[in-house]
Amino acid sequence: MYLGKTVEELHELLVSKKVTPLELTKEAIEALKKEETNAIETICEKEALEFAATLVEPEVDNLFWGIPYVAKDNFSTKDILTTASSEILKDYVPVYDATVITKLKEAKAVLIAKSTLDELAMGGTGTTGHKGTTYNPYDPTHTYKIGGSSCGSASLTAQGIVPFALGSDTGDSVRKPASYAGLVGFKPTWGRISRYGLFPFAPSLDHVAYFTRSVKDSAALLEVLAGEDLAHDATCSVKPVEKYTEGLTGDLKGKKIARIKEIDESVKDKVILEGLDKVQKALEEAGATVEEVNFDQKLLAAVYPAYMIISCAEATSNNANLDGIKFGPRVGEASSYQDVMMNARTNGFSELIRRRFVIGSYSLFKANQEELFLRAQKVRRLIVNKTNEILSQYDAILTPCGGIVRNPFASNSDDVSDRLDIHTIIVENHLGIGNFGGFPSISVPMGLDNGFPFACNIMTKVFTEKETLNIAYAIEKKLGLKNLSTMEVK
Amino acid sequence: MVKYDLDLLKKCANNLMFDMSNDQYNVLLKEFDVLTKQMEVLGEIDGVNDVEPMTFPYPVYTTYLREDVAETPLSKKEALRNAKDVEDGQIVLPKVVG
Amino acid sequence: MNFEAVIGIEIHVEMKTNSKSFSGGPVKFGQEPNTLVAPLDMAFPGTMPILNKQVVINAIRVSNALNMTIDHELWFDRKNYFYSDLPKGFQITQDKRPIGSNGSLTVKLSDGRLKTIEIERLHIEEDTCKQLHLDDITLVDYNRAGTPLIEIVSRPNIRSGEEAMKYVETIRQIVVFAGVSDGKMEEGSMRCDVNVSVRPFGSDKFGTKVEVKNLNSVANVRTAIDYEVERQTKLILSGGAVEQETRRFDEKTQTTIMMRKKTDAVDYKYFTEPNILPIRLSDEFIQNAIDTCPELASSKQERYTSNGLSDEEADQMLQNLLMADYLDECIKVNPKHTKLFWNWITGEATAFLNKKFQSFDKFKVTPDNLEKLINMVENGTLSMKMARQVFEVMCEENKDAEQIASDLGLKQDSNEDEIKKIVEATVDEFPQAVVDFKAGKDRAVGFIVGQIMKKTKGKVNPQIASKLVLEALKSR
Repeated sequence: MYLGKTVEELHELLVSKKVTPLELTKEAIEALKKEETNAIETICEKEALEFAATLVEPEVDNLFWGIPYVAKDNFSTKDILTTASSEILKDYVPVYDATVITKLKEAKAVLIAKSTLDELAMGGTGTTGHKGTTYNPYDPTHTYKIGGSSCGSASLTAQGIVPFALGSDTGDSVRKPASYAGLVGFKPTWGRISRYGLFPFAPSLDHVAYFTRSVKDSAALLEVLAGEDLAHDATCSVKPVEKYTEGLTGDLKGKKIARIKEIDESVKDKVILEGLDKVQKALEEAGATVEEVNFDQKLLAAVYPAYMIISCAEATSNNANLDGIKFGPRVGEASSYQDVMMNARTNGFSELIRRRFVIGSYSLFKANQEELFLRAQKVRRLIVNKTNEILSQYDAILTPCGGIVRNPFASNSDDVSDRLDIHTIIVENHLGIGNFGGFPSISVPMGLDNGFPFACNIMTKVFTEKETLNIAYAIEKKLGLKNLSTMEVK
Repeated sequence: MVKYDLDLLKKCANNLMFDMSNDQYNVLLKEFDVLTKQMEVLGEIDGVNDVEPMTFPYPVYTTYLREDVAETPLSKKEALRNAKDVEDGQIVLPKVVG
Repeated sequence: MNFEAVIGIEIHVEMKTNSKSFSGGPVKFGQEPNTLVAPLDMAFPGTMPILNKQVVINAIRVSNALNMTIDHELWFDRKNYFYSDLPKGFQITQDKRPIGSNGSLTVKLSDGRLKTIEIERLHIEEDTCKQLHLDDITLVDYNRAGTPLIEIVSRPNIRSGEEAMKYVETIRQIVVFAGVSDGKMEEGSMRCDVNVSVRPFGSDKFGTKVEVKNLNSVANVRTAIDYEVERQTKLILSGGAVEQETRRFDEKTQTTIMMRKKTDAVDYKYFTEPNILPIRLSDEFIQNAIDTCPELASSKQERYTSNGLSDEEADQMLQNLLMADYLDECIKVNPKHTKLFWNWITGEATAFLNKKFQSFDKFKVTPDNLEKLINMVENGTLSMKMARQVFEVMCEENKDAEQIASDLGLKQDSNEDEIKKIVEATVDEFPQAVVDFKAGKDRAVGFIVGQIMKKTKGKVNPQIASKLVLEALKSR
């Protein structure tokens, strides 16, 4: 029984030949078949077993040798069905591997499944994929969300079936579900990891991100995934990849960390504020000073509308390639190419997605850009400027991931609505600041409430992942909330 | 800004090559009301018109350009693998006019 | 009422690079459908654009030739629309910041007047798929998708079909000589869209403009515009109004035909391409692209005329880049023989290659060897007639000219002593010639030379023979 172990622990077992990659893979695939949260698009059983069988001689210096993992189903995987949890791609089999998939293959990690997501990664509820809702494994009653859009990857990691899983994060799509699933969810700097092969939602906000169950695993994984990719993604930085694991000292002497007054004030669940105070204490014990700063309530409330406009606008363009001609289904009668497209897109996208595209398209109209798209981009700059101003005086910003520990399905959907109060808008959307400015941002568990985990978030300056990870490491160490999974709960 | 109503939203959707149910157009109309109101508020934020729109998350540029070397193309079979209607190694569409 | 035409031209030039604008997909023409496709060209999800260096170099070179300001930072935009030939659902182009802006091109008109045409912008973009329209279906071939394009947009200060034609012709020459494109309008590697309107002379308002497409030769540009200007003028004079529409040139009738009325302008919803970072070009990079640009026609023209060709002769050479390249190689061997090389190239060489349906890049005769042949004629070793015989062999296989002449036994006798003997003997034979000569009839010289050539089967150097005959006749 090797489920529920971290990469680091599995590596020890593999290197000492107590278990083989094939055994690990088989066990994980068996667990996948039994899992009950609707987290899987495709199990790559044949490919995984074949690959695992070739891994015989352990690589002592390669932490990921023989480690099973899953990838969100919006990463292009050659010869393996990749649907983005959308009907329009329900039978799409890519001809190439995403760069991160290639890198993990080279590191000899074993891809065992593609996981569910909110359709095309455009959602935060885990309910909009073409296979229906993905549930939170911490909640057998199916009352509370795991969040999205990387719901499947979050669930499978939280169940201990895999020690890490790839996701993508455009607004908070890894960091938010990480909170609901008791995981470490890391989104490094925009441009730190190649996006080649990640199906785009909004490229200026999209990040490859991932879940682990320890900060150390997160640091180690970044060493594998980061780095230039000039042949495929020229937005990816050529800055050298650092030894992130070597920066994990837990020593925060001299570090200054800011808490945002307006965000903290927007938190609903008292237990979250208590958690943040505990984190603050832990940070102080590790040598840091923590202070409260003002951001600007108006700017914080602006994150959500600005995000909606920018992401929908980019998305409507990115997904214009899904027209049923080169790939995707041909549905119904067609007497013109327009019919082909109309049929494919009307049937292929859920209504939520179609509404998003209309919003995006409308805000790009020549006559509307100034008041919608360009205005949103200007607000984005103001928000990033303000964040940088804080980060010029502090090493990091500490926030909660959201305002409530448990997020019921009934509470809200992805619909744009004016029923939400300003506090909810602020506290549930501020993680998008990390996408606006491309800042490294990590969610780390900070507590459990009635068996439900919740996390805090640490954000630092761009390309200071060593810093982000070390602060997260200090928190994990002090709070002792490492390697949480539902296996322990059960 | 262009005034929106149900007709415009429908036209907009059709230009994006899809349609929606009337219910959905009505939901969308409400979403538009909320969002445009929010965007109006954003227009009143201090300094919003004193900054340039931001496309990239931080100041960044590159000097990299790809050398002009052809790579091995996809095989015809691979290229067409996901297309549903293929004839003579080409993708078939109803006759395109105009 | 007198009218003037207001004409603006958009030219798309397809580049002959090795790979596409934003992917490594090969650029080749006439290949089997869907065999030149990289994942990006078919818009497979997750693919990202990486700009081709040669595309930038080419754009710089053409911008420079068109006296444009060259942007030192490249930004790209998406032009969003749905069409069956557009795989991504958008085209990557440069809307807000074209690489080249504010240029001009001066052309010489047939009456000798110079006209400077202003150019608004030059930008980099990518081509669409090729569609084959059959009876009831359309077949789509993605080979062309992503092929590099530059678009050159003039300001509307062109005033006649001739100006337009010269403008297009000169741009064609620039892109061909700069090595950017094969510039074949008939094959679509250079495509022109022309906007034509007319207005009363002296007016500063614009008339309603009509777009004319499908101009697949330089001559058609002129014909179509002349026709269109006349059509619009007549229409207005007869009380009608020009409608905003798109027309196509019809080769058969040499007229323009209505394709469609222009409805509302399409909103392309341009926005900055977020997958391409701003690309900074250093001064060195730009200067190097300019300095290493293959020589353009205008410069060749100057060089040719300074080496003794007339304007017309130089122009003829510039109609064909491969021919001009060949002449350049010859000039490197001996610039003093430029005109003589020109004679061979436009004469015998062209005739030979035409017969074989070959172009000058396939021509076997090396410039060195051609120079040898020219020298043999110059120093009298070969007559022109003999030289042509030798040249014919050289064309088939580039054997040494002197060797061929010797193999064929072709050699002109230039030994004065030898020739003198024949001259004396021939004059002796025809005493009447001496009498005629003394009587002032100069044609006696030609008569004797003719007899000598007949006797020797043309192997005697005629210049030397003439000289000696004259001397001989004088001395009698």
